[in-house]
Amino acid sequence: MIKKIYKSILAIIIGHITVLKHAFKKRVTLEYPEVKPLLNDKFRGEHLFDINKCKACGMCQKVCPANAITIIKDENGLNEYSIDYKKCIFCGNCYYYCNFNAIMPSSNFELACSSKESLVITFKKAEEA
Amino acid sequence: MNYLLSIFIDFFANFGIPKEVVYIIFPIIPFCIVAAALILVVLVLVLVERKILALFTQRKGPNRVGFCGILQTVADAVKLLCKENIEPNVTDRILFSLAPIIAFVPVMVCWGIIPFSSEFDFISISVSSLLFAVIAVIPVIGVILAGYSSNNKYSLIGSVRSAVQVISYELPIMFVILSVSILASSLNIKDIILSQTSMYQVCGWYIFPCFLGFVILFVSSLAELNRCPFDLPEAESELVAGYNTEYSGMRFALFFLGEYAMLFVSSAFITALFFGGFLSPFGFYISEKIFNNNVLAQIGIYFEQAFWFFIKSFLIVFLIMWVRAVLPRLKSSDLLKFSWRILLPLSILNFIYICLFKYIVMIGGLK
Repeated sequence: MIKKIYKSILAIIIGHITVLKHAFKKRVTLEYPEVKPLLNDKFRGEHLFDINKCKACGMCQKVCPANAITIIKDENGLNEYSIDYKKCIFCGNCYYYCNFNAIMPSSNFELACSSKESLVITFKKAEEA
Repeated sequence: MNYLLSIFIDFFANFGIPKEVVYIIFPIIPFCIVAAALILVVLVLVLVERKILALFTQRKGPNRVGFCGILQTVADAVKLLCKENIEPNVTDRILFSLAPIIAFVPVMVCWGIIPFSSEFDFISISVSSLLFAVIAVIPVIGVILAGYSSNNKYSLIGSVRSAVQVISYELPIMFVILSVSILASSLNIKDIILSQTSMYQVCGWYIFPCFLGFVILFVSSLAELNRCPFDLPEAESELVAGYNTEYSGMRFALFFLGEYAMLFVSSAFITALFFGGFLSPFGFYISEKIFNNNVLAQIGIYFEQAFWFFIKSFLIVFLIMWVRAVLPRLKSSDLLKFSWRILLPLSILNFIYICLFKYIVMIGGLK
């Protein structure tokens, strides 16, 4: 009985000391807009698309589970490539299956915008002079 | 208080105002001081609690409003004042609006009872410690009324739990107050504080003969204040917000204010009983040395006493917040078991031990 009481009092005191130790450790809070969080290398943010590498094979369009990617072709090959961020779930399938490394992940995660239209990002082939 | 009253009468006599008018005006001043100090202390306490809890969990706490977030609680208070007073459809209207007032007013009376310095004891009667213990329970009536009148099962369960807690933890508190008053041979809080003066400065404090009593009073006041680990009446995970589920706006603010003011005043009471209240821990007052015993020193001593009182009380408040950061919530049945099976026998044992201590050591009865 006495041993039990002694043990529980000891446990409470140890708990208090442990909590007090945390008061002197480094803060873990990041004040977001001023301080950006450190991201993992494999973080899947906004897509980086290189229109010159793309062969318009249509693989990314096929593997996209949310049907977020639209490819419009003409007789010269690729004409228009667009990603709809309203639908995109950032699964990363498009990078994984792309044979030409035309589409790559970036660490930009600040995609909020004020209109629906600007969530659809379109890449057009530059007209050759 | 008499010394201040004579200064006050002299001051008004210069302007030709008769004595009788001054006698009527004089009691208003302590009321104003108490009201102002209470609101200020509560604003500080809420911020301090949030900052301390952030400190213990390695966060930063509020730091956006004002410098380092000092205006955060002011912003919260303004928000509460501007909010609509929502009243549910099927409530007992009179009791619903009466409950916050009953929960808040006794706290202000408790503030008046505590002597913050040797002259500033607003309600000075010979049994003030007993009066404190009795009045400190009255807010629970407000809590019960709030739970009953708001027609909500969570409110009712919360208020009933609060009542049970107070009933079971009141007895140990009374035994501790009794044992301290035996040590001091008085029930007046000011006399209890003054009897803790000794040649050995800090060693005269009653924490040393009566450490067990301090622990019992500390735990019981945690339960009376509905603080962690005894915060069953407001257990968010089970009871939404307990007895103040249906309250919003100013009425909720009154409950909130009462709760935090009671937290401070209870720690002030513990300070008065065990840590020498307004006595300086060094055995002398600094203002005495600076002003060389002229009139400024006379006034400076009172402010210094109040300063020591507030410092010691805030240390107790810190202890209470530290406990909140560490311990999880108890089960309702464990809470009652802890009170009746452990705290009550311990407090009676402590009482007997203090009686023997007083007879043998302080009076020298065996010689």
